[in-house]
Amino acid sequence: MANKWEVFVMDLAELAEGKELELTIRTLNDGLHKYTYQRAKVEVSSKLDQFADSLQVRLGRGQLSDRKFSIRVIERVERLPAQYR
Amino acid sequence: MGKISAPRNNREFVEACVKSGDAVRIKQEVDWDNEAGAIVRRVCELGEAAPFMENIKDYPGFSYFGAPLSTYRRMAIALGMDPASTLPQIGAEYLKRTNSEPIAPVVIDKRDAPCKENILLGDDVDLCKLPVPLVHDGDGGRYVGTWHGVITKHPVRGDVNWGMYRQMMWDGRTMSGAVFPFSDLGKTLTDYYLPRGEGCPFATAIGLSPLAAMAACAPSPIPEPELCGMLSGEAVRLVKCETNDLEVPADAEIIIEGMILPDYKVEEGPFGEYTGYRTSPRDFRVTFRVDAITYRNNATMTISNMGVPQDEGQLLRSFSLGLELEKLLKSQGIPVTGVYMHPRSTHHMMIVGVKPTYAGIAMQIAQLAFGSKLGPWFHMVMVVDDQTDIFNWDEVYHAFCTRCNPERGIHVFKNTTGTALYPHATPHDRKYSIGSQVLFDCLWPVDWDKTNDVPTIVSFKNVYPKDIQEKVLNSWADYGFRGAKK
Ligand SMILES: Cc1cc2nc3c(=O)[nH]c(=O)nc-3n(C[C@H](O)[C@H](O)[C@H](O)COP(=O)(O)O)c2cc1C
Ligand SMILES: [Mn+2]
Repeated sequence: MANKWEVFVMDLAELAEGKELELTIRTLNDGLHKYTYQRAKVEVSSKLDQFADSLQVRLGRGQLSDRKFSIRVIERVERLPAQYR
Repeated sequence: MGKISAPRNNREFVEACVKSGDAVRIKQEVDWDNEAGAIVRRVCELGEAAPFMENIKDYPGFSYFGAPLSTYRRMAIALGMDPASTLPQIGAEYLKRTNSEPIAPVVIDKRDAPCKENILLGDDVDLCKLPVPLVHDGDGGRYVGTWHGVITKHPVRGDVNWGMYRQMMWDGRTMSGAVFPFSDLGKTLTDYYLPRGEGCPFATAIGLSPLAAMAACAPSPIPEPELCGMLSGEAVRLVKCETNDLEVPADAEIIIEGMILPDYKVEEGPFGEYTGYRTSPRDFRVTFRVDAITYRNNATMTISNMGVPQDEGQLLRSFSLGLELEKLLKSQGIPVTGVYMHPRSTHHMMIVGVKPTYAGIAMQIAQLAFGSKLGPWFHMVMVVDDQTDIFNWDEVYHAFCTRCNPERGIHVFKNTTGTALYPHATPHDRKYSIGSQVLFDCLWPVDWDKTNDVPTIVSFKNVYPKDIQEKVLNSWADYGFRGAKK
């Protein structure tokens, strides 16, 4: 099943296409974990059928952007220092 | 002092509010995702009864209590007073209790502590098992702490701090929060833990007794466990944490234990704030790693929904900031007649009434106010004389618009302490907590001749002889008046 994701950006230019990005994204899938975050390597595209998952965007003060993207989550990135895991 | 009988925990408080018509039980299912937040927001904007939501989607057994203290009636109930008490009566009671002897907390056995009825440790720890609400659509996350206390201890001095510092759920084990550098916890972190690179043990208590919550957001110099004891007239019951040496209120609904990490930060915000805006930017803030969760059976999560007036942040902080300033000014021998903040100023304007007995008294007040621990939380001080009713905005506004001289009455203080939340501050100043403040001196200058230079107030009460006033008042209906239509 396709996943729904959301990202906060100050500027839409942060969502460059055609290259690997590292973003903090949150899941919008229904259920107990909705809105929890992870750091991940991803690729985004303004072509909505490019990747299976969808990405919606919020701006600096929480405003929903009307720009929509599709997204591929390549892998999770763990920023938490090892001694705390 | 007479025996105080204030609600001892959140459940007794909910019961008391339901009984007096100041809370409603909502039995139908409410969604934690926006719906509960929208209900609480509308309650704040209308001054409605507090919602006790008993059936939360996805979270059987849990409940919410929203807008716990967003009216003076509920504040009176929390203090064990008649709900119809006036604001000056509630204020006088707060001053009386917080000027009494500190009451030390007692530590009880874990078996007697309701907050230990359920204990999650190790791999079972997941904040998503709690009904953490999405309070406002567009917030940076679900907020665990909106009406709560973050409990820490200064490792050298040993003093315990309960502070209400917002906390966002980042993932099931991580929260991030806005702990301002000038707050008690902020100072403990920068003074001790951060330079040493050590983790700071913390415990977040949610669903506190209303007076414990009041203590956690009161800007009092008294350590909050004692302050809570003074407010409630009895010792607070504490119990030891599962995973660290802190002690937490045994009657709280939910406890989250863990460590503030010195060298790891995650994003927090944006969030709907007490100013009525989402102002402070999303940023990397103080990060809390969770090690344990304990909670009562059928635990209730308390929710404050901050936004446009009026919510409990505005109401209670205006109340306690004003009264704490009154104590400070009186401790310096200044002849103040009272201090009041309108909640609608979102606790940004202090109105101080004073007998103007010497030159520079307004400046002395402003310097003390801005220079105190309270100072970063407001940026306007308005000083009026003892003839002006500080609780009556019409009178204060009239004094301001007529007596405050643009050249001599307005004094700007630059490079003071601010917060990231001030809507009027520049983005740069928000980032670095840089503030600026202003005094509006609405006193007649002491060097004006009282007889010839100081204008006379022209009002029914002030210019007519007593006998004429009485005659007119007694004859009012006979003249044919039926009471003015507003
Ligand atoms: C609902 C609510 C939310 C608050 N959030 C924060 C916050 O995120 N950070 C902060 O430093 N103060 C916050 N405050 C203000 C503190 O609770 C207040 O300054 C309190 O006195 C802190 O205690 P301290 O003097 O022990 O630092 C909040 C107050 C309320 C009522
Ligand atoms: Mn404190």
